[in-house]
Amino acid sequence: MKLWGIFRFELAYQLRRPWPWLAFAVLVVFSFVSTRVAIVPVTLPQDFILNSPFIITAVTVFSCQIWLLIAPVVAGDAAARDVHTGLYPLVSTSPVSKAEYLGGRFLAAFVLHALILLGVQVGSLLAAHAPGANPDIIGPFRPAAYLAAYGFIALTNAFIATTFQFSAALVSGRPIASYVGSLGLFFLSYPVTFTLYLSGLGQRALLADPIGVMAIMNEMMSNWTIVEKNVRMFTLEGPMLWNRLLWLGISLVTIAVVYLRYRFAHRTATDPLSRLVRRLRGTAPTADSAAARTAVSVPQVRQSLGFATHVRQTLAIARVSFWMIAKTPAGLFLLVAFPMFLVLVLTIESQHWGVPLQPRTGYLLTRFLTSPLTQAADFRVIIPLLIVYFAGELVWRERDTGLSENVDATPAPEWVLFGGKFLGLSLVLVALMAMLTMTGMVVQVMASFHDFQIGLYLRILLGLQLPEYLLFAALALMLHVAVNQKYVGLVVSLVAYFLIIFSSFLGLHHNLLVYSGSPGWSFTDMRGFAGTVGPWLWFKLYWGAWALLLVVVARLLWVRGKESGFGKRLQIARGRFNRATVATAALAAGLILSLGGFVFYNTNVLNEYITDGEMVERRVDYERRYGKYEGIPQPQRTATKLHVEIHPSRRVATIRGSYRLVNRDTVPIDSVHLEPAFYVETRVTFDRPARAVVVDKKLGHSIYVLDEPLQPGDSLTLSFDVKLERHGFRNRGSRESGAGIAILENGTYFTNGALPVIGYRPIRELWSAEDRRKHGLPRQLTLTPPGDIDPTVTADAPATFEAIVSTDADQVAVAPGELRRRWNEGGRRYFHYVSDVPINGMDVFFSANYTVHRERWNGVDVQVFVHPGHTKNLERLLRGARASLDYYSAQFGPYPYRFLQIVEQPGNFLGMGVDGSGVVTSGEGTLLLNPPDDGFDVLFEVIAHEIGHQWWGMQLKPAWAEGGGVISEGLAWYSTMQLVKNVKGREALRRLMSFMREPNPWPPIRTGFPLLRAIDPWANYRKGPYAMHALSEYVGETKVNGALRTLVEKKTSSLATTLDMYRELQAVTPDSLKPLLHDLFEVNTFWTFDTKQASAVQTETGDWQVTFEIEARKVVADSAGKETELPMTEWVELGVFAAAEQGQVLGKPLYVEKHRIRSGRQAITVTVSDKPARGGIDPYNLLDWEEGDNIEAIEVKQ
Amino acid sequence: MTAMELQIHGVSKTYPNGVHALKDVTLTIPAGMYGLLGPNGAGKSTLMRILATLQEADSGSVTLGDQSLHSGQALDVLRQKDDVRKTLGYLPQEFGVYPNVSAETLLDHFALLKGIASRAARRDVVEALLRQVNLWDVRKQKLGGYSGGMRQRFGVAVALLGSPKLMIVDEPTAGLDPAERVRFLNLLSELGENSVVLLSTHIVDDVSELCTRMAIIDRGEILLEAEPLRAVAELRGRIWRRVISKEELPAVAREHAVISTKLLAGRTVVRVYSDTSPGGDFEVVEPDLEDVYFSTMSGRIGHRTQVEAPARPERSRRVMQ
Repeated sequence: MKLWGIFRFELAYQLRRPWPWLAFAVLVVFSFVSTRVAIVPVTLPQDFILNSPFIITAVTVFSCQIWLLIAPVVAGDAAARDVHTGLYPLVSTSPVSKAEYLGGRFLAAFVLHALILLGVQVGSLLAAHAPGANPDIIGPFRPAAYLAAYGFIALTNAFIATTFQFSAALVSGRPIASYVGSLGLFFLSYPVTFTLYLSGLGQRALLADPIGVMAIMNEMMSNWTIVEKNVRMFTLEGPMLWNRLLWLGISLVTIAVVYLRYRFAHRTATDPLSRLVRRLRGTAPTADSAAARTAVSVPQVRQSLGFATHVRQTLAIARVSFWMIAKTPAGLFLLVAFPMFLVLVLTIESQHWGVPLQPRTGYLLTRFLTSPLTQAADFRVIIPLLIVYFAGELVWRERDTGLSENVDATPAPEWVLFGGKFLGLSLVLVALMAMLTMTGMVVQVMASFHDFQIGLYLRILLGLQLPEYLLFAALALMLHVAVNQKYVGLVVSLVAYFLIIFSSFLGLHHNLLVYSGSPGWSFTDMRGFAGTVGPWLWFKLYWGAWALLLVVVARLLWVRGKESGFGKRLQIARGRFNRATVATAALAAGLILSLGGFVFYNTNVLNEYITDGEMVERRVDYERRYGKYEGIPQPQRTATKLHVEIHPSRRVATIRGSYRLVNRDTVPIDSVHLEPAFYVETRVTFDRPARAVVVDKKLGHSIYVLDEPLQPGDSLTLSFDVKLERHGFRNRGSRESGAGIAILENGTYFTNGALPVIGYRPIRELWSAEDRRKHGLPRQLTLTPPGDIDPTVTADAPATFEAIVSTDADQVAVAPGELRRRWNEGGRRYFHYVSDVPINGMDVFFSANYTVHRERWNGVDVQVFVHPGHTKNLERLLRGARASLDYYSAQFGPYPYRFLQIVEQPGNFLGMGVDGSGVVTSGEGTLLLNPPDDGFDVLFEVIAHEIGHQWWGMQLKPAWAEGGGVISEGLAWYSTMQLVKNVKGREALRRLMSFMREPNPWPPIRTGFPLLRAIDPWANYRKGPYAMHALSEYVGETKVNGALRTLVEKKTSSLATTLDMYRELQAVTPDSLKPLLHDLFEVNTFWTFDTKQASAVQTETGDWQVTFEIEARKVVADSAGKETELPMTEWVELGVFAAAEQGQVLGKPLYVEKHRIRSGRQAITVTVSDKPARGGIDPYNLLDWEEGDNIEAIEVKQ
Repeated sequence: MTAMELQIHGVSKTYPNGVHALKDVTLTIPAGMYGLLGPNGAGKSTLMRILATLQEADSGSVTLGDQSLHSGQALDVLRQKDDVRKTLGYLPQEFGVYPNVSAETLLDHFALLKGIASRAARRDVVEALLRQVNLWDVRKQKLGGYSGGMRQRFGVAVALLGSPKLMIVDEPTAGLDPAERVRFLNLLSELGENSVVLLSTHIVDDVSELCTRMAIIDRGEILLEAEPLRAVAELRGRIWRRVISKEELPAVAREHAVISTKLLAGRTVVRVYSDTSPGGDFEVVEPDLEDVYFSTMSGRIGHRTQVEAPARPERSRRVMQ
């Protein structure tokens, strides 16, 4: 059988080539490493099992992405090698049928891919069973898990990818086109699917993902509980199954179309564009005008081979290279289709919480249009992947055409040939930057936003983004030149790229060690570049010097002529080592050493450089050495007094302050444990004789022994001086460096993290279960931190606060407290903030050119600080704040503080947070929201949520325990829901709930722990509020809110758990509703209601008789995902509503009463007096939290 | 001005797979047309590429220089590649073109690569060369639509850019139809008289029609270095011809030094080399360059050391293709 013979030949041929083995090896290593060090970007449970089906499947999915990129030529070569090498006429005239030829080749490619993908399972197995694995996290060997991952994911992907790689190569006649086919799949799988997902298609968007990255990971990540992630077996079902079936179907159709259109015929190898042009013009191949030749004398012209000529040659090659790339399908994709796709992405993603954002230039640039090469977070990864491809095409251009000998025999020097190509690729990237600028502006025009700031586009895209890509282009070109085999060069360049983006997982953290690494730059409206460009530039110059060295290497190794043996090439390279080359190499080396030295001086000498490993060690040491002091009697801080001097222009701040420390214990205290902040200079003095017995600067712990112990009830004063000043720059820019760097020209922000703290802090201990195990620390239960609120809030007792803050004359300084006085002195501005009521949490300090709004609410000093350009939403924030204060005070107890500050925190992040008592911070991005005038006003709801935290989190402090999130986040959202219902009505609450129902960022998890032990965000942020809302409707709002008020009063000085809350709720719940309370909090109950049919007839009295056909179901799910159906006898609301007005879902309620509902189908008839329009069961989604089928239109029968 | 000369001395080349492509090749090539004749796989292209700076020799030296000047002025072809390329014209055995580019555009690009920096000068040179190779009328058309001969002439135009002193033309007539071939050879013959033009070919007629000097190469060795006319003259009286039937061939080959056989109207014409009359049925014939070639290949004349006696007809057939 010929097909079999062709298949065998192809398989044997490629198995003797290097690239299948290279791809296999890369996959083994990748899956091994990603299993061992968990590269896979998933939220792993702390106590994960290394060889759980979840991890095996996740590693397979992500390895498939890598494989898609490095292995396409297997299919490409099988499809197009004969055309490419010119063997084609011999094949097409042989007595082999099209089916046998293509079938054999396709099958061979598929089998090769299937074999290569076995590498993933080999790597996974090795990771679990080879030496070095931690036996504690190895589960039993489950062959089915590997088989399922390989069969359901790897094999289906092998088929789908082979189809598109094979087709792309076959149609174009070029093996390397298979890479473009792969990139197409890659692009669909993540960027396009994700965009569609966000655009509101939700689950349906997952169908668009051809290799299952989104489809499978979304399903497993969001719908599996932590327990399931460790034990559940992966199998194809639901959306995953549909996804696989759909793409297998698409592949089959594609194969059929390509097969039918394929002809064994002479190929005129030209690109589609010129084929089209030729078809339009109808020109035939050129005819030779065999005219008699007349003797012509060729003019003697001057050949000049000086530098000027070389520059012109370089430019000419650059121009040719640019057009060569720009005209290919891949080039057109990058320069035309990709920007168009970006317009779509930006339009869809320029919103938050369902509300559009003002597309400010700085925001668009930082959020969407730029990213460092070292990060491969989203769709922008396509650019480096295309650079790799273009580099290969350019390096191989002459040889692929067969023109290389002609070119190589010209006197153009190697650096011209290489430099021209590099410049050509650079031009492509410059064009891309221009297109990205266009993209941003198109999006802005579409949003009727006209403050384009073109200068900012150019500065950021050409000045900051282009160099990233140029550095990579130099590397990719050099690698292609050095490797000198097109496919292998592609794989090696990709591996280099993977090494760059995964460097931190390989233990390379210093940016001097990761090609093109640098601290990031940042840009915000408030801060501008905030001094981040300088450090960025020093690193980039250093890497630029490396790139220069790479260029020298590329020139030396540039293949000219027929010698491709590496030994011969080295010999030729020696011959090329002329004076200019030596000088350039020496210059590059000198720059590398001097710039590297300067950077190193800044990052490692002026600043302390601590590796992640070192950091872990220090935390271990900290716990080992000082853990014994946890919980020992220490004086408590009851008052803080500060003099803060901020000098934004000099980027320095000094804090002179004191703590009043009281012994609240029953025994005398003879020593004070003090932890000064890192990265700042701190000096402390006591108001009584004390001596330091331990000053451990490295671990940050000091012990002072008091000559005379502090008696119970006595107090002392601790004074300190702190200086915040930065020295040089650091390896990772500002984030890592804590307080020291945040003094900026505009937009200073720092916290009391810069001030000394009393006592040992368990929060500084190592928390990762795996790390603790590795270092032999005792196990401890780790929990999800309670969301928005910084965990340190529970560490400090409340204290009164007083600060005099000064800053430059053109700025406003902010510290917690009501503003008592403001004055100018010595060209500086002074602000005096006081809180006589003890406050909790973090104390935050700001200085910026703020617009300030102040008003009084019941004696509370309400202060709002926003950037002058960001005042658009001021009134919305204030409306929400006033309503929240009114409603919460009435329901949950008085607002205890004398001030409420809403401060715009510099930084582009979207979101608001609560740092401490009386302070709500908001990212710059939040204030760029552009809510519609009618419709969902997200700012009102979010500020209401944050102010809710002043009760839930600040007054009632959750314990560091399961269910803690329900107390802080759950109650904060519950309060918001109640506020919205009371102030804005039920329709507004419906809109809020449909916003809460969005799967992004927290899709529902039906299994897992019940609310009392909740640990996942959906339970905290969504299910908790839903359950509380249902309870308030069943038991009564006053009773439930009263229970919460009692809880706050009872727990003023201790930490609360869900059990404390549950006790109060039980106390107000009548016995008849105790089963419901149990169902909501103690088990994972889910009710499903469906109104199948609703009809009405008018009676003779003029009333309307409405009959509903409904179906009900109640299930309980355990933590492993098992669902048990329970019989239901619940009282559930049934509602009938009049016709709705414009913009509403439901009209005036005509009838809302509870009915006893049992499981299954049933009919219920009610009578209303007015004409009904819509109605159904559980109309307000008290128990059934899925929207959709509860309410139906009522059909009126005659 | 006719003093350019290429001196090849002791050049050897072995490929990594063990093929000994060139064995101690020594040649002196004066200005004018020089033919390098040899069967496929003889090492012609390897030698040509070494001369065109595209391949490395394992040993030996190659110099290009003006005889009349001091040897210090001569170029070391193996080392001073950049300098050689300034004055080199090279037409590879096989080459491709960018299918979507016009002849004019690509030639202009090559002109710039050859160092013709001025745009005006390039335009003049490109026009002149395209007229010379008779492609001026089709200069705007895409190279993808060119026939084999047109492409070959385009290659010549590229090679001619910058009036090269050293012109390497590797098997240029392979694949050309007879008319194209004539046109092409005419073009080559007009090449500068003060340049070294090295033409490699396995077609004897190419050499006999054009070259003033020639060398025959086989299996990496130079077997004969001669002027075609003189070499032919020296064979006069030594080539004998006889028409026989196919069945007689083995017997004739056993008894005589057959250098070539040809089929003519169903009968076989054998030519043998013999200083004296080989017998009654043989008639002496006027030798031509083909006889020189076959005599050399069979070791009757030239430097071939291992005389293959009797000569194998298979071999003759092979070289006659």
